Amino acid sequence: MTRRILFSMAACAATLVAQADKKPVAPAAAGADNSFFLRNVTVHPVTGPEIAGGAVLVKDGKIADVGAKLVAPKGVKVVDGKGLHVWPGMINSATQLGVQEISSIRETVDTGEIGTFNPQLRPLIAVNPESEHIPVTRANGITSAMTMPSSGGGGGPRSAGTSPLIPGHVSLMHLDGWTWEEMEIKRNAALMIQFPTIETRTFNFIEFAPGRTAFTEAKRFYDRRVKELNDYFDQARNYQKAKAAARPDFRIDLAFEAMLPVLDGKLPVIIPAPDERTIKGAIEFIEKQKLKGILANIGRAGTTLELIKAKNIPVIIGESTDLPDQEDDAYDKNYARAADLYKAGIKFSFGTFDTQFARNLPFQAGIAAGYGLPPAEAVKAVTINAAEIWGIAGEYGSIEKGKWADLILTDGDLLEHKTSVKQMWIKGHAVSLENKHTKMYEKYLARP
Amino acid sequence: MRGLVTFVFALAPILAQAPPPVVAIRNARIVTVSGPAISKGTVVVRNGLITEVGENVAAPADAWVVDGEGLTVYPGLVDAMGSIGIPEAAPAAGPAGAGGGGGRNAAGALPAPNQAGLPARGPEDRPLTSTWVRAADLVRANERRVEALRNSGFTSAVSFPTSGIFTGQGAVINLAGENGGRMVLDNSAGQFVTLARGGFTAFPGSLMGTLAYIRQVFLDADHYKKAKELYTKAPQGLERPAYDRALEGVLESKRFLMPAVRGYEIDRMIRFAKEMGVPTMFYGLHEGYKAAPLLAKSGSTALVSLKWPEGARDRDPDEVDSMKDLELRENAPSTPAALAKAGVKFALYSDGSENVSRNIRRAIQKGLSTDDALRALTLTPAEIYGVADRIGSIEKGKIANLVVVKGDLFAERPQIQHVFVDGVRYDPPPPAAAAKPEVTQ
Amino acid sequence: MRFVSSLRNVSYSFALALAAACTLGAQVIVIQNANILPVTKPGFKGSVLIENGKIKEMGEKVVVPAGAQVIEANGQYLMPGIIDCHSHIAADAINEGSVSVSSMVGIEDVLNPTDVAIYRGLAGGVTSSNILHGSANAIGGKCTLIKMRWGKSASEMVFEGATPSIKFALGENPKRRGSAGSGPLQGAPGSLRYPATRMGVEDVIRQAFNDAKIYQAKWQEYNAKTAKGEVAIPPRRDLKLEPLVEVLEGKRFVHAHSYRADEILMLLRVADDYGFKIRTLQHVLEGYKVAKEIAAHGAGASTFSDWWAYKIEAFDAIPYNAAILTKKGVLTSINSDSADVTRRLNTEAAKAVKYGGLTETEALALITINPAKQLAVDNRVGSIEVGKDADLVLYDKHPLSSYAVAQKVFVDGNVYFDRMKDIEERGKKELVKKQMIDRSKEQERQQQKKLGPPPAGARRPA
Repeated sequence: MTRRILFSMAACAATLVAQADKKPVAPAAAGADNSFFLRNVTVHPVTGPEIAGGAVLVKDGKIADVGAKLVAPKGVKVVDGKGLHVWPGMINSATQLGVQEISSIRETVDTGEIGTFNPQLRPLIAVNPESEHIPVTRANGITSAMTMPSSGGGGGPRSAGTSPLIPGHVSLMHLDGWTWEEMEIKRNAALMIQFPTIETRTFNFIEFAPGRTAFTEAKRFYDRRVKELNDYFDQARNYQKAKAAARPDFRIDLAFEAMLPVLDGKLPVIIPAPDERTIKGAIEFIEKQKLKGILANIGRAGTTLELIKAKNIPVIIGESTDLPDQEDDAYDKNYARAADLYKAGIKFSFGTFDTQFARNLPFQAGIAAGYGLPPAEAVKAVTINAAEIWGIAGEYGSIEKGKWADLILTDGDLLEHKTSVKQMWIKGHAVSLENKHTKMYEKYLARP
Repeated sequence: MRGLVTFVFALAPILAQAPPPVVAIRNARIVTVSGPAISKGTVVVRNGLITEVGENVAAPADAWVVDGEGLTVYPGLVDAMGSIGIPEAAPAAGPAGAGGGGGRNAAGALPAPNQAGLPARGPEDRPLTSTWVRAADLVRANERRVEALRNSGFTSAVSFPTSGIFTGQGAVINLAGENGGRMVLDNSAGQFVTLARGGFTAFPGSLMGTLAYIRQVFLDADHYKKAKELYTKAPQGLERPAYDRALEGVLESKRFLMPAVRGYEIDRMIRFAKEMGVPTMFYGLHEGYKAAPLLAKSGSTALVSLKWPEGARDRDPDEVDSMKDLELRENAPSTPAALAKAGVKFALYSDGSENVSRNIRRAIQKGLSTDDALRALTLTPAEIYGVADRIGSIEKGKIANLVVVKGDLFAERPQIQHVFVDGVRYDPPPPAAAAKPEVTQ
Repeated sequence: MRFVSSLRNVSYSFALALAAACTLGAQVIVIQNANILPVTKPGFKGSVLIENGKIKEMGEKVVVPAGAQVIEANGQYLMPGIIDCHSHIAADAINEGSVSVSSMVGIEDVLNPTDVAIYRGLAGGVTSSNILHGSANAIGGKCTLIKMRWGKSASEMVFEGATPSIKFALGENPKRRGSAGSGPLQGAPGSLRYPATRMGVEDVIRQAFNDAKIYQAKWQEYNAKTAKGEVAIPPRRDLKLEPLVEVLEGKRFVHAHSYRADEILMLLRVADDYGFKIRTLQHVLEGYKVAKEIAAHGAGASTFSDWWAYKIEAFDAIPYNAAILTKKGVLTSINSDSADVTRRLNTEAAKAVKYGGLTETEALALITINPAKQLAVDNRVGSIEVGKDADLVLYDKHPLSSYAVAQKVFVDGNVYFDRMKDIEERGKKELVKKQMIDRSKEQERQQQKKLGPPPAGARRPA
């Protein structure tokens, strides 16, 4: 990954060229055709045992019934899924879909805003529904995704003033819709906090060699940043009090307004925490400020898994196919990460933390299953557990009566690389699986 | 009487232009290095040379006599590689950093010729090359590091220009003398080679580029030599080879010093040197404990840096070093012992370490015998550089470079009483009075 | 104490010890009851007999010679060792970015056999890896094919007898230094480097080959003269042009980093003009658009499974690339270009089943026999066949499964990776490391406590 970034490091000034011709594929979200009867399939409800030769009845976009012995009601369209499997649509818990098209071209990237505190920002309203990445990701069975601002740099002294502490909210959206409004699940799904880290190892691009900063200096900077973050929360609470006092001269502040649901514990904060110190610091911060927390990318969690479990904080895993970051780490350390969390009893889901590989979510879970995570748990992690973490489990994440019909039909195991997604429904609407890649494939396969 | 002697001696450095006086150190233990130690004997120094040494040597009538009771006389130590005496020499683009293989970005150190300051585009621009520069032309006795090193028992050093890839010709020098010329024992000690890079925009921009460059320079030197020979023999009808001072410098070099730290780098550089087909000595060698058989098998000569690798200062307490680094830090001081055991010819160099004697003791704690340690700091470097007929041991006729110690040179706190360079006495300040002026009486 | 010191010895060369143990192990090995996927032949359940590092015999039943070491596979899957046709591991330098033609440099000079990426790659089933120079220049440096003999020296890792090769690069990367950019080098004197366009990239390559031809002619002239007994000064050997002459003479392969269809076609035509072949197009993300032309030239294609959109020249990259190229008759492989992805090329290949419907055997060929052919080492590796090197991977499940985990990896018949052993030794390794850290801390404490005599450098008279 690092290598890839290195090789494509320099920004390119080229503008986005016109894309290859494509015939329009209409989003399905606004249509009325959202009832059907899917029969003759293996149903994987995820929250219950699989049902061979089962059926799912969808009415007005919601799952009306699931079972082995269902009969198609009259007048409902019947879909025969012989030999196929039906699963809940997958949820990618961390992406930059819609706000980043080509990572090396700044004009196509809307993830990183200027400023240290930007709680008022939410990516959903900048999501380009025509992004090529959306149908590409959908084609692999992902029906919804969290999309997020960039988490910024490492936060060492050298990046002072450039890395945000609060880059904005993260949004949760369906991967289908004419507009971002139609795609919305939750525009403010959590507040992202880039908790400070201590980075003493640096990289000097001029000399193209690793370097080092003194710990004392880095620690001083870290302490200052942690204080800055706490001060900001204190200011937000003062704002909350002032607002409650409702004096006539009270002036609305968009940034502090966005903080209110977080202060009340109604909205979680999501904090990437790559090492033990940051995890402990983040948890201490969450407790001190009485917040609801989610941790992400806990690469060097070390001995903190018990602490995370004790505080019942869920985790978004992004690193499970990354290289171990220490030379002496076990070679399979990150592959086995999900299994470690499972054994520790921590709730987790997976995220890809990027755009172009968002479609590889099932493979991340599948590989984790190779290294000790029970496969059923791996499936839960990309469906129901993700829904629970994002607070939408009442409506999404499993095939259960009353939930929205976000469904996918596959020719095999959900997490196998070879498996193809044959059909997809979002809120009961059939969604096209065609995308830039399938179209280019068909076009050039037919080249004489 | 004794007080008088001391008084006169103390003035000696100031009167250095005058011929050195006659000195006899008697009743001292004499560690000759070239032969068995003499438990009680006398060394006579006259006109800067050792004129007598032995058990039954009488102090000449005109000599100032030092009573050596309780003292040991050693040959003066030789710092086998560095830039001592060269003012403002950049710290050697050396291999001190673990795994670095030597050489950081040296952008701008030497603009390439014919390019008006533009980055070098290839070997033909001779980037970072100054083979013609001679340390002998640069050394100064008043250079700030000279006295400090002499105070810890060193009387000679081998100094090289440090800037660039082919940095220039080294010199064996004595660590005192009224001018640079007086210090020089040998003005062509060898060509110092680093693995510096030209930065990202100038060739060579990578370790690969540096190695390719060195290879091309050696090929060019070969070609230059051949072309000149053919041309000199019968110039008619042949293209005249263009004079190239860089290649002249290569052809004039008796030996080349090349860096290697890690075991695999030592392996790499041994193969590289063999391919180049030039006499090579390797320096750095902290992981030499892993490559001792390899060095022995290739008949290599080794210069081991005494600046043992240490953990970074002020580092994150949560940071865990890699096993590779931990192992290197723990075992680097065992390199000299491993080389001795494998029969590799090796010398030690201070490499600017803050505490040379402590670092030598660490090597001794790791199994290096004191005899081998002493040899690696005296006779071996003298042999390596072809000056063993003049320095490196206490023998009749050799230069009177001596260090006189109360007790043992490798003791925890060695008490160096006198240092003689070219027969002139330079006394280090007593440890307690470190901050006071050296000449006290 | 004795215990500690013996442990210490183990730690010094964990990998070396493991490798040594392997080499000292039985020369004759039988892997039995395996689901064997030879790739070049249909799969079957049976045994493979290894002798002196080579596959001696294979079949449903193989007689176990006396004294042979028997490995019971219990139905696990045995496939040929994976060959990564594009990697940048195991080297202390990758890019000589200063010049547009850097053919004088070579990876072999800077191989680092202690790079842990080698072990991690092995653990992912890779047994050979093509270590390429980077893509900073139109004509890059020389490349080196290695076998993943972890614990061996650099020269022992080199794939003996493999044809030398060189890296070329087209498109955005080689032209990057032709624009001022916004990086740390912006404005530095001489930081702009020709070429700045794809047009310039072609020019640089053509110019270099013109120079190479002149150089070649000079030597021919010199050799002719000396053959006649004439006295002549030999031409100066030019390390930049020598590899290019070798390319012209078909003695050195060209692996060309390329993305867009236009630049791919350009390079094929340049090669046609100068009378040499492009051995492989690397990345070749838009290869699917010019598969016909690639096949006609006879170049191989080595691509990613599904990377795209990280830069504009990768925006038309599609995961169906390998399938289209294969279907259109191009010899195709899937590579990693990454220390990370090289650890799971098996599932990268599985993606070609999903995207474009290659058969499982075709998918496996993308990471075994096809790259072996591209690198012209298919007489040695790339399939399970009698007489070939015993470079093998034993997976617990079918290697194209997401859930497959490599259990044992053989190079030349030696086990260089053993998952059970790796797991077993973790505790010991951790203990050894902890002891080392303790000793290191103690050493630092000692030094701070009694610093010995004050440093020589500090003892200067005022």
